[in-house]
Amino acid sequence: MNRRRPLRYRDASRVAVLSCVLCLIGRGARADADYELGHGIDVGPINFAGYSDLVANVPSRGTGSLVLNDLSLFVSGHIGQLFNPFTEVELADLGLIHARAAPGDDHGTGDLVLERLYNDSYLSDSITLRLGKMLAPVGEWNVIHAAPLVLTTVRPAVTYRNFSEYATGISVLYSDPSARFPDFQVYWQPSGEFSERPSHLTVHQYRGVAGVHVSFPLGLLDKLGFSFQHSKDVLGVDQSLLGTDYHYSVGQLTLQGEGTYSDISDNGVIHNHDTEWAAYAAASYTVAEQWSVYAWYEGFLDRTAPSTAQDVLLGIAYKYEPALVAKLEYLQNIGGQPVNRTGLYASFSVLF
Amino acid sequence: MTKTLLAVTIAGLLFSGSAGAEELLIIANPSVNVTAPLSFGEIAAIYLLRTIAWPDGSRIIPVNREAGSEARTNFTARVLQEDNASLTIYWNEMHFMGKMPPVVQQSEQAMLAFVQSVPGSVGYISASMAPVNVKVLARVP
Repeated sequence: MNRRRPLRYRDASRVAVLSCVLCLIGRGARADADYELGHGIDVGPINFAGYSDLVANVPSRGTGSLVLNDLSLFVSGHIGQLFNPFTEVELADLGLIHARAAPGDDHGTGDLVLERLYNDSYLSDSITLRLGKMLAPVGEWNVIHAAPLVLTTVRPAVTYRNFSEYATGISVLYSDPSARFPDFQVYWQPSGEFSERPSHLTVHQYRGVAGVHVSFPLGLLDKLGFSFQHSKDVLGVDQSLLGTDYHYSVGQLTLQGEGTYSDISDNGVIHNHDTEWAAYAAASYTVAEQWSVYAWYEGFLDRTAPSTAQDVLLGIAYKYEPALVAKLEYLQNIGGQPVNRTGLYASFSVLF
Repeated sequence: MTKTLLAVTIAGLLFSGSAGAEELLIIANPSVNVTAPLSFGEIAAIYLLRTIAWPDGSRIIPVNREAGSEARTNFTARVLQEDNASLTIYWNEMHFMGKMPPVVQQSEQAMLAFVQSVPGSVGYISASMAPVNVKVLARVP
């Protein structure tokens, strides 16, 4: 599942107060509009929206669980050309039934997490300057990770595990209005991450991150992307990552996937490998207006693992509305040390 | 013979459907300072959230009719040239990334009233409706 970073409750209160203050600014333009599920609620120039994701898991070994995987609130303000704040705070991994696998296990206790807190300044109709904490654009899944918007309940490890998911610093985004040229984003995090998650919630903690993502639009949703990210973790280990991602539709069939390859300096830290690679490839097929079936395969060679983890997943999704999705899927580990547990997963998610 | 009749009937239905699609007017709030007419590509860039500000820097507020309405179906097919399902997914993704999808108005009168009153807004109405107190940016035959 996703990796989370806790936010202190005092910080969360500040974010909430800031959001309320922003609500009082300006007058209700969009507030006159009719509500549409997935588009949130407008109060003046501020939009309040969010998503929730309830997940039931029945593993082949161990205890099953019912978990509120995410309850997210994101608030965006559109005040002017230079001031367009955005924040996302979420309650993550809150176990409702049998969430703790063992005494002392921290899973399922729930964490308040600051996912994003930044301001966008539109320097021109194609260039945006972003300052703050943002999602790092490595692949597509990490930046569109809301449960109703992604393909499966179980997240492939390649989409979050072996790179910095966040960047706290500065970023420049380019997007050609007529889509004649590829979109790109460069970003730089000079030091530590704002509201960093503790070590028990993440595999790596990063002290410096820089990267770029280039996306070639092939259609409204179809694209081919390339990523580079250089990072240094808290142990002083340097990592240079190259990645690619794609999304392509042919009729009712959609193909998507991501892959990364990393070169890792040991810097005195013992690894099994000096390189790390991972890839997933997925296919989904719309069998009826609201029904689709999907599958993915993933191989993941972690720097510390002796062999490549391999998972296969099969599932079916029902979209009552595009913003309201139920999924049922089965994941089978077919080799290596498992990253995701073999078992049955079901989820119900809504974007509101 | 039966096949020929069937083909002629289908062609007739298609033709009548095309001819029957009402002309649309792309309208904007009078405060919008832009040179008309806009091309379909420029209008599509607004609704696909790739152009988010008018030339003077003020914010664009695109307005859509409700899903399933004839006006939205025509506008989507003729100007955006995308299917509705893909557009819904696209707007949900853009919203999660901090961009605001078009707001929705449930009737032509509501659309006109919204565009008349909200600075920076842009929408569409049928050409049979008088574009009072709005700026016409384009015609969609």
